[in-house]
Amino acid sequence: MLIVVPIDLFASGVTTRTFTEMFVQMVLVVGLYLFVGNSGVISFGHVGFMCIGAYATAWLTVPPMMKQFTIKGLPEILAQAQLPFLPSVLLAGLLAAAVAVPVGLVLMRLSGIAASIATFAFLAIVNNVYSNWDAWTAGTSSIVGIPTETNIWTSWLFASAAILVAYAYSVSRFGLALRSARDEPVAAAAAGIDMVFQRTIAFVGSAFLCGVAGALYAHFLGVVNPDAFFLSVTFTALAMLILGGMSSLSGAVTGVVFVTLLISLFRTLERGVSVGDASFSLPAGSQEIAIGIAMILVLIRRPAGLIGNREFKWTRSPAKAERRHKPAI
Amino acid sequence: MNPPRLIADRIAVSFAGLRALSDVSLELVSGAVHGLIGPNGAGKTTLVNILTGFQAPTAGNYRLDGERLNGLPPHKVRRGGIARTFQGGRLFKDLTVLENLEVAGLGLGLDRGAAEVLAEEVLEWIGIADLADELAGSLPYTDERRVGIGRALVGRPAFILMDEPAAGMSVHEAEALGRLILRIAEERHCGVLVIEHNIGLVLDICSHITVLDSGEIIEAGDPETIRRSEAVRHAYMGTQADIVSDAAVL
Ligand SMILES: Nc1ncnc2c1ncn2[C@@H]1O[C@H](COP(=O)(O)OP(=O)(O)O)[C@@H](O)[C@H]1O
Ligand SMILES: [Mg+2]
Repeated sequence: MLIVVPIDLFASGVTTRTFTEMFVQMVLVVGLYLFVGNSGVISFGHVGFMCIGAYATAWLTVPPMMKQFTIKGLPEILAQAQLPFLPSVLLAGLLAAAVAVPVGLVLMRLSGIAASIATFAFLAIVNNVYSNWDAWTAGTSSIVGIPTETNIWTSWLFASAAILVAYAYSVSRFGLALRSARDEPVAAAAAGIDMVFQRTIAFVGSAFLCGVAGALYAHFLGVVNPDAFFLSVTFTALAMLILGGMSSLSGAVTGVVFVTLLISLFRTLERGVSVGDASFSLPAGSQEIAIGIAMILVLIRRPAGLIGNREFKWTRSPAKAERRHKPAI
Repeated sequence: MNPPRLIADRIAVSFAGLRALSDVSLELVSGAVHGLIGPNGAGKTTLVNILTGFQAPTAGNYRLDGERLNGLPPHKVRRGGIARTFQGGRLFKDLTVLENLEVAGLGLGLDRGAAEVLAEEVLEWIGIADLADELAGSLPYTDERRVGIGRALVGRPAFILMDEPAAGMSVHEAEALGRLILRIAEERHCGVLVIEHNIGLVLDICSHITVLDSGEIIEAGDPETIRRSEAVRHAYMGTQADIVSDAAVL
């Protein structure tokens, strides 16, 4: 993480922005990992929590002067609020976590695939509500005036904190219990593990981090609108997690860095490069195609992602992903 | 004080109209080893699934010390003091042996430190403490079985139900397993139900044996009764060519 120092001092504005965005995405993907990695249930819905966090921080930090015009229907206490950055971001995370409690209690009862589909429905619902709840969200138009406090330092601090939180969860009793239920749900139940409860805890914890990521992103862009937190962010976040390896924290972090580099490489190529006299550029949209192809290639070569289920530093012994099939009970 | 009892009372279950168990009753007492034998498909695993909350019976009930267990989910059955092992082991392969046992402590509501202490105690007691840091997925068959039993022993359950723990073991290994099962009953005062095809082993270690065939109890009693039973001999000869050699010891 020392790379931050030279980048901040010497690099151009573009690179600084790229890295700031990368750290914000790291908070998101690490949050997603906390649930997906430990439970084995893919979620398409976590960007919904990001959306909730982003709007929450807009309600709390946009100057009351400006809120009068864009979001007229806020209750008095929010309309007058103008909180500082840090408490606002944390409250945004807490709101996302609070929403995750009832959602989790319902969804976590479903089996793996049904739960995944239901998370997608949750994303669609959040997007719809925030697109039409004019009084609080200004509908599909943007809310402007969010203080741009997310810079490379704050985003780096939050990314580091998110990694620590996810690590602490993984080694906690809750993390171990949920991973056991991920690998052998039947045996975990026979060992006294309540899988629904464990999944719900992870769901709420990861919603908190994703809510924080949403708030950070809002403070990075300075504006929010519902479609900034929908399918394309969901796709990128899942690509990062899957490419890196969704069953390890190291994989999640690696995936974020790898995909960010890939995206900025292709963005540069889309803008065009000149070699001597000749210059060429890739058509717009190549970036998404490249991520898609990279994802397919990695999944073919390394189904468990670049990192698999190993961790960088704290491994006891390298896990063999080799699985034997056992007869059913 | 009476020793704890686990009672199955006229249990029946059907799968899509097919009767897998009908009118099955048995009683486990703490400190005693109870054998459950019968040809493949007789319904032995199904009975264990019912007693541990994995399968709801169509009729009948089961009780621990007079308290009905019907409808309890598996994790609550385990917390209530009834543990089980699986025919296929079902260890958490990516976790270490110690962590495998630790999970059972977490399931009982302990924190990691306390769960680890219990896990170590059980590994020590079984005599496999040296395996603690091995990955469960890399264990040889016999050790895998013993770890599965260890996981079920964490938290001193009143009863442990074992599904074919000796399958695939050599004669020598099966004898060692038999001694372990007797120690579980005697030293840990646990009531044991053991499903086993190795009938020699069952006759050696069990004080009471129930014989199932096609979902019905065809005989029950002490080893001597089973040894003499014409019905048992007939069931084994009639249905299962591959265990005729086992039946020969009858
Ligand atoms: N979940 C299930 N659905 C349908 N049939 C089942 C199910 N579980 C067991 N059975 C059937 O019930 C019978 C008893 O099976 P099982 O209890 O596994 O026998 P055993 O353990 O004695 O070999 C078999 O005919 C099996 O096919
Ligand atoms: Mg069976």
